[in-house]
Amino acid sequence: MIHIDGSTGEGGGQILRTSLALSMCTGKPFRITNIRAKRPKPGLLRQHLTAVNAAQSICQADVTGADISSLSLTFVPGQVNPGAYSFAVGTAGSATLVLQTILPPLLCAKESSTIHLEGGTHNPWAPPFHFLKQAFLPLIERMGAWFSAEITQWGFYPAGGGKCIFRITPPAEKLLNIDLTERGRLIRSEVLTAVANIPWEIADDECKLIARGTRFPIDRFRAENVSSSGPGNVAMLEMEFENSRAFFTGFGEMGTSRNKVAHLVSSSANRFFACGAAIDEHMADQLLIPMALAGKGSFTTRAPTSHTTTNIEIIRSFLDIQIQISEIRKGVWKIWNG
Amino acid sequence: MKNVVIGFLGTTLDRRGKDSRWERWRPTVAVCQHENLLINRFHLLHNARDLSLAEQIREDITAISPETEVILDRIEFKNPWDFEEVFSGLLDYSHGFHFDRENEEYLLHITTGTHVSQICMFLLTEAGFFPGKLLQTGPGRGNTPPGSFEIIDLDLSRYDSIARRFAQQTHDDISFLKSGIQTRNQDFNRLISEVEKVTLRSSAPMLLMGPTGAGKSRLAQQIYALKKQHNMVSGQLVEVNCAMLRGDMALSVLFGHRKGAFTGATENRPGLLQTANKGILFLDEIGELGSDEQSMLLRAIEEKRYLPVGSDQEVESDFQLICGTNRDLKADVKKGGFREDLFARIKFWSFRLPGLTERIEDIEPNIVFELQNRSREAGKAVIFSSEARTAYLKFAVSSEARWPGNFRDLNTSISRMAILAEGHRICMDDVKNEITRLESEWTSEDTRENYSDSPMTEITSLIGRQASSSLDLFDRIQLAEVIKICRKCKSLAEAGRKLFSESRKQRGKVNDSDRLRKYLQRFDLTWDMVSKLIIDD
Repeated sequence: MIHIDGSTGEGGGQILRTSLALSMCTGKPFRITNIRAKRPKPGLLRQHLTAVNAAQSICQADVTGADISSLSLTFVPGQVNPGAYSFAVGTAGSATLVLQTILPPLLCAKESSTIHLEGGTHNPWAPPFHFLKQAFLPLIERMGAWFSAEITQWGFYPAGGGKCIFRITPPAEKLLNIDLTERGRLIRSEVLTAVANIPWEIADDECKLIARGTRFPIDRFRAENVSSSGPGNVAMLEMEFENSRAFFTGFGEMGTSRNKVAHLVSSSANRFFACGAAIDEHMADQLLIPMALAGKGSFTTRAPTSHTTTNIEIIRSFLDIQIQISEIRKGVWKIWNG
Repeated sequence: MKNVVIGFLGTTLDRRGKDSRWERWRPTVAVCQHENLLINRFHLLHNARDLSLAEQIREDITAISPETEVILDRIEFKNPWDFEEVFSGLLDYSHGFHFDRENEEYLLHITTGTHVSQICMFLLTEAGFFPGKLLQTGPGRGNTPPGSFEIIDLDLSRYDSIARRFAQQTHDDISFLKSGIQTRNQDFNRLISEVEKVTLRSSAPMLLMGPTGAGKSRLAQQIYALKKQHNMVSGQLVEVNCAMLRGDMALSVLFGHRKGAFTGATENRPGLLQTANKGILFLDEIGELGSDEQSMLLRAIEEKRYLPVGSDQEVESDFQLICGTNRDLKADVKKGGFREDLFARIKFWSFRLPGLTERIEDIEPNIVFELQNRSREAGKAVIFSSEARTAYLKFAVSSEARWPGNFRDLNTSISRMAILAEGHRICMDDVKNEITRLESEWTSEDTRENYSDSPMTEITSLIGRQASSSLDLFDRIQLAEVIKICRKCKSLAEAGRKLFSESRKQRGKVNDSDRLRKYLQRFDLTWDMVSKLIIDD
């Protein structure tokens, strides 16, 4: 039984999700203690519980301690069963974080899966649906998998109620190695801003403000009025390079001006564009597990966050691999394994 | 463990319009928006008028919290600011609620609803009718969801100060049950504090056992008054002495009859069980109840419904049953005189009130209490001289004093001395006379045995003590015999035929019934009263 200390590093829910994913991929049971011990509301929250329950249901795991506010959990995984599943996340919690938990084992499975998710699709602190569809999953496709992703209803905080479907076809053999050291030339950039149940002009303004703020040309911009049960606003910028993809997001909420939202998106995109790394820091976190499972891979990114280093530590607990980090030039770091 | 919330729909706070409702804090929805609180079921109490709002809230909760099942429970208040209505409505709701405490934890959401309903929820939770904790919620900054929540467990020590205040109330309640008498007997005090708990927490049948005069009837009255004070009964207290319920009419008296059920049933009669609906029925001397009445009563307790005499339609009556007995009912059951199943039912809570000689330390407080009563009646303090008090007490607690009628005897004795005493001061002579009187009364104990069967007593119980003592002996004897005949007859007409059989032969056309009715009227009596034995004591 692998023991994970939930208070390691940044000590958040990511430790739990990574552990669940790798436990299912490797068949190794684990016990996690001090779950989110340093957070103001320690222990398992509802969104974590949904992730645990989702993991439990795709592999018929034996789970103890899966209760609200529980500080420890034991997870003994069974055989992963690909197939059709539906998961609903309460409190407008992010549906994509549930996907993040079960995607790695489904990538290691022999058959395709269809995952219906309900909950938040565009939440701060979680990868938005469009990040997965436009940036992350295309990179994983390069590792041999195939995806389709559809959104039928958007889910914003606090009303939630979003609906999306992911179809996952794992690679025929195993995940392929990927080399993302050089990003190549910027070949496409698009802005998509969306509003639900608030004036469309807000999205329109954000679009123009982002386009005006970036130090690179925007090929296409769209401001959309989307269907959602509550109000919401998100501004997204997608960049496609010859050898990489990047994605930047800003959320509008009560009391945040459209200027500020747009500035957040354009300034972080500008910083990334200027540094020359192939992968932005959010993508870096997501890539670690597939890359580790493939056995060999590398990417360049900006200075690793504590999120990233913690994630690496957890991966090392499950997989016998070396993940190395070094600063290859000022502000650009290379992370590789194998 | 599943979390189950019971809460009122917030007709103002939960109503935030269609478009901006997600931006504002809505207490009911917000309960299900917390990341660290998982609600499996929400019982949303609402009235018919707010159904569409309730449905909207249910839809929103289902969207935001797929784990939560929302059940709309309709609860109608004419006036949601009326304490009695809200309290009894919620109490009824709690009675009808299937609490599964092994698998579910209950949270009473007290943020919504009128402040009256909040207070009632608090009280009902504290009293254990809602076996759960209180859930208090508040908005986030700028009135945004989900805000904050706090779970308040009234059992925890930090609420001791509240609990202490309740303890004071409990103390008051106990004192109330003892009619304010400062009893000292520990067994009795323990008994009364148990009675108090049971009174406030249960509506199951109670059996008060104990010798005559031990205070069963008074205790039943105090139990009723306490329940009334705590809004636990809305109906009346109906007291019946089963020993007085003999003959054919007993069934009809208890269960009522339909017009035309038998000769003389000229009107529908509701019956005492119906009168006690939502109140308390006190059946004293339950051991004297006939077998037909026993089986009907059993059904009435078990199913809260029964058939009135001659009716093919069941009526419902929801009353709490308190029974009194001075007999050994267990022995009666063995001998077959009392139904075992009924006995099992009525003794759900059973209390044995000790006789006076078992609690001689309570004689003094009872004397004090009785003197206070006399003083109140007389409008002037009735007191013992210290010498007289010592002498009387010495006698009262001695082994010579048998007190067969227990506290009733003691109270009568005090009353007598108070009335006979000159200038409201009971002296040595008064005490000496009283002791002699008591001793002679107790030696002629045999006559006492048949006391309640004497027709004179029946007259007294029918027309009251005062009216009875103002009758001439001549009238009293006559009336007693007439009543005796009436008791044996099924109808006024039959009794009339029997009583006036001679004059019947002489006259051509007579109306015996009318004659008898007029005779009874002279004593303010009606056929019903005489035949069905309504005791107006």
